[in-house]
Amino acid sequence: MRPVVHLDNVTKRYPNVTALENVSLEIPPGVVCALLGANGAGKTTAIRILLGLEQVDSGTASVLGIDSSTGGLEIRSRVGYVAERPTLYDWMTVEEIGWFAAGFYPLGYAETYNRYIRRFGLDARKRIRELSKGMRAKVALSLSLAHSPDLLILDEPTSGLDALVRREFLESMVDVAAEGRSVLLSSHQVAEVERVADMVAILLGGKLVCVERLEELKRTTREVVVTLPDATTPPPSMPGQVLAHVPFAHEHVWMVRDLDEARLAEVCRDAGPYTVRSPGLEDILLALLREYRSPAGAARSRLDERVESTPVTPPQ
Amino acid sequence: MLFHVDTDNGIPIYEQIARQVKFAVANSALQVGEHVPSVREMATRLAVNPNTVARAYRELQAEGVLVPIRGTGLAVTPEAPRICNDDRLELIRQRLRSVLAEARRSELGDDEIRQLFDSELSSLPAITAESAPATSSK
Repeated sequence: MRPVVHLDNVTKRYPNVTALENVSLEIPPGVVCALLGANGAGKTTAIRILLGLEQVDSGTASVLGIDSSTGGLEIRSRVGYVAERPTLYDWMTVEEIGWFAAGFYPLGYAETYNRYIRRFGLDARKRIRELSKGMRAKVALSLSLAHSPDLLILDEPTSGLDALVRREFLESMVDVAAEGRSVLLSSHQVAEVERVADMVAILLGGKLVCVERLEELKRTTREVVVTLPDATTPPPSMPGQVLAHVPFAHEHVWMVRDLDEARLAEVCRDAGPYTVRSPGLEDILLALLREYRSPAGAARSRLDERVESTPVTPPQ
Repeated sequence: MLFHVDTDNGIPIYEQIARQVKFAVANSALQVGEHVPSVREMATRLAVNPNTVARAYRELQAEGVLVPIRGTGLAVTPEAPRICNDDRLELIRQRLRSVLAEARRSELGDDEIRQLFDSELSSLPAITAESAPATSSK
């Protein structure tokens, strides 16, 4: 099946910084993909490139089979997009902005928009400038959903919103996914991502360090904590792919993929007592961020190895 | 039926959903022949990915707890109460086992563990005859 989002070896440089470096990502239809990473990791740049709002320096980007570098207008009319700080004409009323947007889309847009407005409990006669941040976000979401897009792109949609509005956003996302449509979501709310995402793509400093089904990532990742008897004992080498290694006094914490637990018992016999547990997404992400920011981690440049995006099977 | 999902407890979400359906059957909140909410309804209510709910339902079907009823959804099977009661017992046994392992690691003696257990047990509200679950005698 043709991917709904396709980045192939995309590099984007700004005068002072490389925003994206050789990023390759494929999102199959019907998948909720979460884009994770620290501020400035390149998430928004990737989204803007996909929408044709920025041009790549090398590589290709396409959405729904349309080349982003030339077909930005068509892409933007076919996907739903909620920016982190949506710009809305604030002198319009909630209802007027729906009519205004309807002009750009096929018939039926305004009716669907009004249905969302009612569902979100918005007052159609209120002016945009009179709305709270949460209500504005709901208007932006309604505008992006009203043409039933095949792909919904949300760039940190819930940052700064209260718990109830965040929940309503999540429910709308689930609703979109339940209809077999795709969602690309950039977010810092890891707990929310953990609930709704099928796959995660983790960007660190413009590089994609992990593209994987969330369930698979969690199933194959273990956190190992080894307490060394003294400072002179060297830390054991982990039997598995080390994503991150964070020493803390005598205690060493590793995030390891495909850990061989039998061999771990062997290598730890001389090192000291250890524990193994299944980390959550937040633990994995934090370990990757710490590793990336530590000088030792940067020197090892373990994360520089390009991670091939693994094919993700679409849901039934 | 109140379902709840916790992303921090290390148990996969589909597993949490499956367990809660089983607990609901075990304590008769869900009865034989009753329908579970549709995938979409459950996913929206819990704000989780619909595929996750679908997976939980698939496992429950594989275990014989749910059965598809043509055109209307998934219903609780006649065998489900027995299966779910057994499962609940097993789950509690597992939890007890992990607590006991932790007690042993902190070097508590058997007598101390028994004392703790008895004092906790006696502080629980007593079970009345009617509210006692009908545990299968296996």
